Amino acid sequence: MLRRLTASAVAICAALPVMAEDFRWASTTDPQTMDPHAVNSAPVLGFLNNVYEGLVRRGRDMAVEPALATGWEAIGNGEGWRFTLRQGVKFHDGADFTAEDVLFSYERASSEEADTRSWFAPVSGVTVVDDFTVDIMTSAPNPIFPDSIANWMIMDSGWAEANDATRPDKEQGNYATLNANGTGAFKVTAREPGLRTELQPHEGWWDTVDHNITRAEFTPIQNPATAVAALLSGDIDMINPVPIQDAERLSGQPGVQVIQGIEARVIMLGFAQEADTLKYGESDGAANPFQDPAVRRAVAQAVNVPAILQTTMRGNAEAASQLVSPAMRGYSEPNAATIAYDPDAARAALAEAGYPEGFGFGLKCPNDRYLNDEAVCQAVTSMLSQVGLRPQLETMPVRGYWPRLREDDFDMYLLGWSPGTFDAEHPVRFLASTPNEEKKLGSWNFGGYSNARVDELLPMIQSEIDETKRQAMLDEVAAILQGETAYVPLYVQPLLWGARDNISLTQRPDNFFILRWVTVN
Amino acid sequence: MLGYVIRRVFQSIVVLLIVGLVAFSMFRFVGDPIDNLLGQERTLEDIERLRTQLGLDEPFLVQYWNFLERAVQGDLGISYRQSRPVAEILLERAPATLELAAVSGLFAIVFGIILGIFTAIRRDGWASSVIMTVSLIGVSLPTFLIGILLIYVFAVELGWLPSFGRGEVVDLGGWTTGFLTASGLKALILPAITLGLYQMTLIMRLVRSEMLEVLRQDYIRFARARGLRDKAVNFRHALKNTLVPVITVTGLQLGSIIAFAIITETVFQWPGVGLLFINAIQFVDIPVMAAYLMLISVLFVGINLVVDLLYFAIDPRLRDERSAAGGN
Repeated sequence: MLRRLTASAVAICAALPVMAEDFRWASTTDPQTMDPHAVNSAPVLGFLNNVYEGLVRRGRDMAVEPALATGWEAIGNGEGWRFTLRQGVKFHDGADFTAEDVLFSYERASSEEADTRSWFAPVSGVTVVDDFTVDIMTSAPNPIFPDSIANWMIMDSGWAEANDATRPDKEQGNYATLNANGTGAFKVTAREPGLRTELQPHEGWWDTVDHNITRAEFTPIQNPATAVAALLSGDIDMINPVPIQDAERLSGQPGVQVIQGIEARVIMLGFAQEADTLKYGESDGAANPFQDPAVRRAVAQAVNVPAILQTTMRGNAEAASQLVSPAMRGYSEPNAATIAYDPDAARAALAEAGYPEGFGFGLKCPNDRYLNDEAVCQAVTSMLSQVGLRPQLETMPVRGYWPRLREDDFDMYLLGWSPGTFDAEHPVRFLASTPNEEKKLGSWNFGGYSNARVDELLPMIQSEIDETKRQAMLDEVAAILQGETAYVPLYVQPLLWGARDNISLTQRPDNFFILRWVTVN
Repeated sequence: MLGYVIRRVFQSIVVLLIVGLVAFSMFRFVGDPIDNLLGQERTLEDIERLRTQLGLDEPFLVQYWNFLERAVQGDLGISYRQSRPVAEILLERAPATLELAAVSGLFAIVFGIILGIFTAIRRDGWASSVIMTVSLIGVSLPTFLIGILLIYVFAVELGWLPSFGRGEVVDLGGWTTGFLTASGLKALILPAITLGLYQMTLIMRLVRSEMLEVLRQDYIRFARARGLRDKAVNFRHALKNTLVPVITVTGLQLGSIIAFAIITETVFQWPGVGLLFINAIQFVDIPVMAAYLMLISVLFVGINLVVDLLYFAIDPRLRDERSAAGGN
């Protein structure tokens, strides 16, 4: 029935080229809420980017461009940023967008109940200058602030108040959990959590319309085989992701295309560095060899990343040299060389460090978090065995993985990191800083890596306005992390989307699917 | 009679309480919901705060008690993932599962009985051998594989039926039905076959062996000797006597059709309670998991209770025992 409808729609479309289309897409996860401030996760923010808008947004190349603000400039010597707002913008319900909504959305998104609160840690205050000018003051100069708020979405203050949703409510849910009212290119016209979400174009959208969609429907499909079958049968126009093992077969099928790219996420190995003894050593209380940078470097030399990319990832990923991918702002060009695979050197280095016979330790891995994560860890395990190390691999679902890492129950672990700000400062703050609960630093630095110079550089990087000086400091941090092998960066995770042949779309490295860039031909 | 009923009901409640206890003691091993609820930029402080807020820092016995306390008042809690009352979500999803279970149950009974009779009457025919062999494959192949195979043949290759979902549904005041639209009916076919295939095979084999047994009985021979037509012998006399055990087994299987719809629902992205449960496990959505498990155990315990009470009504020996006990 639906198929026949679409077929006739295609026929009509051929006759009237302006006539637009129904578009159906699927992904593994349903956005758990329609509230843009309640959950800071990629499925939610990615989906809501089609519905809500921020002051700034990211373009096809991830560069920040004007959205609800037409321009912005630093105030004085970096005391804050002045944003000039776009005039004549309407929310989906017809209300006007003004500075009041920006102030309200700041208060809402930075409130105790919001999951997006950490984005506003550098902000000291927000003032409404006039209806279309807003000053956002920061406690220290913050050159990347406009970059860091691309996912901060503006909600209508009047709508939120009328529907009793002035604060996000994660536990009980409120009106904004199931309903949305943004300024974005699409409005939510039906929402059945976990089943389907229907979007239709926002008639009064301020920007030029590039898409030709008249109705779009999102369905979460968990089982990858079902999603692939749905794409092949034409019940679905686009799926994300395509399972790596199906990518090649799928791209050979008529009627479908596989769109490949690399994501912002770097997959790496981390070490327990703070612990004095191994958790899974072969004898009780064996000293922790991973405290020695030479041992960590030997691990990096022993892992044959090109082989992993070729076999496990089937040629769909790129080797990584540092904690961010080259597409990120602040990527360190001088440190772009990866550590070469050299098992002999690794063996020699281990012998020199006092482990000619190698040693046993525990390697922890998730098995449902990153693409082929378990297979990658198995490959790493056998490669490390070849230089005499004896890793005991334990893999587990991610729902049990983070608690284990928090309990320091590992000697070595696998981690993937996608910088939320698309800037090299982000992983330094979360992965390389000495953990400090009070300053909210190093909250994902499970192994407790610590370097005084890195800690000293981070606040300087955060407040440096001069691009060149800032890059020099980021280069220095990257060099230190590489020199000490704080982590072993393996590869940048691939993005694999599947679509019908008649769909043209843009794949953005943050894995956000932007509906307004879709054309149904 | 009343004493027996009260005793059975009491035993059922004890079973339910134990199921809940086991379930709650297991939730810790499923994983930690906190990481799914907080974003990348959470702090340890946020983690602790949320854990306290959700009561996850309490021992599991306390969590279980809190759950029971609210459950008896009709409050099943609020889903971590959807931030909506669990009861509301379950009611929303139940029609999909119940309709699927009903259709696959019907499919299993109708085809099971027809094929069972056929293979019993034509026990040596080649068609019977083919059916028996194919049915063996049906029992031995795992459900998800059958589902994927059906999808590839009928949705991808032939393009006759939809590959996933429920099609268009009509809302009849809180009950969504797929029976009233063409796409809804088409969407039912593949999942119903997938879910009902095992039960169909079971019923078919049961009918066949019962039928063969009955056909050997003297009264069938006498009937034939009297010159009754085959049709009358097979269907009026033999089939009727075959159906008693079939009905018992079918009744008991009904519960398992609903409970084991999980896999079928996952393969076909069928929006029922089974899919909801799988989602809940992945997200460690404890309120949903707890409610689902309790619901399924209520279902099983309920069916067993009804069966026991029916036996009591049918079997006079049980009544005698009771009155004898009462006499002491």
